[in-house]
Amino acid sequence: MRRSLAQNLVLALGLLVLAALVLLPFWWVASGSVKLPKEIIQRVPTMMPHSFTTQHFEKLFSSSDFPTYLVNSLLVALASTAATVALALPAAYAFFRMDFPGRAALYRAILLAYAFPGVVVLIPLYGLFSAAGLVDSRISLVIVNVAFALPFAIWMMRSFLASVPREIEEAALIDGAPVATILLRIMVPLIAPGIASVAVFAFIASWTEYLFASVLIVSDERRTIPVGFAGIIGQYQIDWGLLLAGATAATIPVVLLFALVGRWFVAGLTEGAVK
Amino acid sequence: MAGLVLSSVKKRFGAVEVVGGVDLAVADGEFLVFVGPSGCGKSTLLRMIAGLERVSEGRIEIGGRDVTDEDPSKRGIAMVFQTYALYPHMTVAANMGFPLEMAGQPKREIDAKVAEAARVLRLEPFLERKPRELSGGQRQRVAIGRAIVRQPQVFLFDEPLSNLDAELRVGMRVEIARLHQALGATMVYVTHDQVEAMTLADRIAVLNAGRIEQVGAPLDLYEDPDNLFVAGFIGSPRMNILDADVVGSDGGDALVSMPRLGLEGVAAPCRGAAPPPGTAAKLGIRPEHVGGAEGATAMLAGTVTVVERLGGVAHVHVELADGSGFTIESREARRFQPGETARFGLDPRHLYLFDAATGRRV
Repeated sequence: MRRSLAQNLVLALGLLVLAALVLLPFWWVASGSVKLPKEIIQRVPTMMPHSFTTQHFEKLFSSSDFPTYLVNSLLVALASTAATVALALPAAYAFFRMDFPGRAALYRAILLAYAFPGVVVLIPLYGLFSAAGLVDSRISLVIVNVAFALPFAIWMMRSFLASVPREIEEAALIDGAPVATILLRIMVPLIAPGIASVAVFAFIASWTEYLFASVLIVSDERRTIPVGFAGIIGQYQIDWGLLLAGATAATIPVVLLFALVGRWFVAGLTEGAVK
Repeated sequence: MAGLVLSSVKKRFGAVEVVGGVDLAVADGEFLVFVGPSGCGKSTLLRMIAGLERVSEGRIEIGGRDVTDEDPSKRGIAMVFQTYALYPHMTVAANMGFPLEMAGQPKREIDAKVAEAARVLRLEPFLERKPRELSGGQRQRVAIGRAIVRQPQVFLFDEPLSNLDAELRVGMRVEIARLHQALGATMVYVTHDQVEAMTLADRIAVLNAGRIEQVGAPLDLYEDPDNLFVAGFIGSPRMNILDADVVGSDGGDALVSMPRLGLEGVAAPCRGAAPPPGTAAKLGIRPEHVGGAEGATAMLAGTVTVVERLGGVAHVHVELADGSGFTIESREARRFQPGETARFGLDPRHLYLFDAATGRRV
């Protein structure tokens, strides 16, 4: 369908407004992180930085705990992502393809996990982790992140599995492939974009998780970025430059992740398989 | 190679019976085609043979071995799907070698068998390509190659040519026939296309509503159908069917009348004794057995509606006096013009008589 010039203009304007809504806060944070403190707290804010400094980043990486938080966050997020994908894949395949009693009911029930806000289960979970001796360990955060990401990850993964034509699995079955081989050698390559989506979802959920990280982690050397960084906001003063530099640095792993898995977000992986 | 025996095979989905008690024996090396309209259960039957659908009742034997509850991979079958079902992320060679890899064969052996199948199917230049880089016909050849390398006892084809265009379909049909001759393997083939069925099959099983209506050699079904369904399904254009009443008998022939068409006492050959007078019947005649009116004992007239000129022959569609449609195959295409009245004669030697109530041939 060909669009007229006016339609194109309206479309472009709409996209511009949406892009501005999404990107301006990022710009504000990123540009603020290189402004001199004086300019940051100026009464009339500047969109384009009039000054340039790397002092906030220098301070962030040399004299704050940010590097420790970053490592903790990375460890927790990567472990949570890997565990979520590793568990969601076979679970989704079982829900998708295998016949077992109560499958439909169980499949609906897993989303019940989202019926309760995290804060409701916070205290019982704390009790559990405390009894297991896992309070103040990064493993506790991984367990919580995986538990909360898994239901939705399974739902996502199942819909991706359902997009693979049935005949491909049947052909593999006739060819003598065991279930695990069908899943790993046939299905996984075909739903790579789906796995990438689930991974991004799990990573970001873990990366931004605050509530459990603030309660289950006690010592400063195990804190993740969201909680650790909240400590920068002091009772009497806020080092805005440091905060903005930290926020900028914290988005970099997510941007990198998108760049890394972005190439998997391609359509048509099953092209040529069936008509 | 081995034969295949189906004994009272039934398939139910909940309360709905889609295949109802099929008994059939396919001889070793035979090419059997299941043909029938959409939803007749032919694909379900094939999938049960493959082990992709559970058999609700009955027994399936391949090479004398009961495989009713056997895993698909252990039945000694290979299947070619309508949609090719290739592994899109693997090369042609990997696709074809996959079943052998799963069987744990050494790489050198796999390579040799894949190379041989590729030679037979003329796929050698494409071995390192991915399925998306192939044409529809090439993809289907890869799917067939994947079946060949396994050296199965029985090949199963589920409408393998339906996704191809008309020209390719003819080419692939010849290729499959050649393959059957070369391998001498037992092949079971599902199609709704009766041309495929007629040209490929040693025997055809015509299915309707989950039951086999008739099994036989293609020409036997064409020339000697057991019932109205087979008579109507096999043959293109379809057999003409006229409402008739039995009014008497003459030796082995039944005498029938079609008062609304102005025909009285037409002698129609019967398989057995002629049905008693007063029996409601259907009279069938194939379009190619309708001839000129001159000298004919049974004559019909109607208005030409459409003339399909195919070159050598023409299919002339006529509306009879009672409003029913009738098709004539004629070599004299220029004789017919739409809107004109056409007169033609029925060849009494090629009339088929069916009981109107049961649809069975009498």
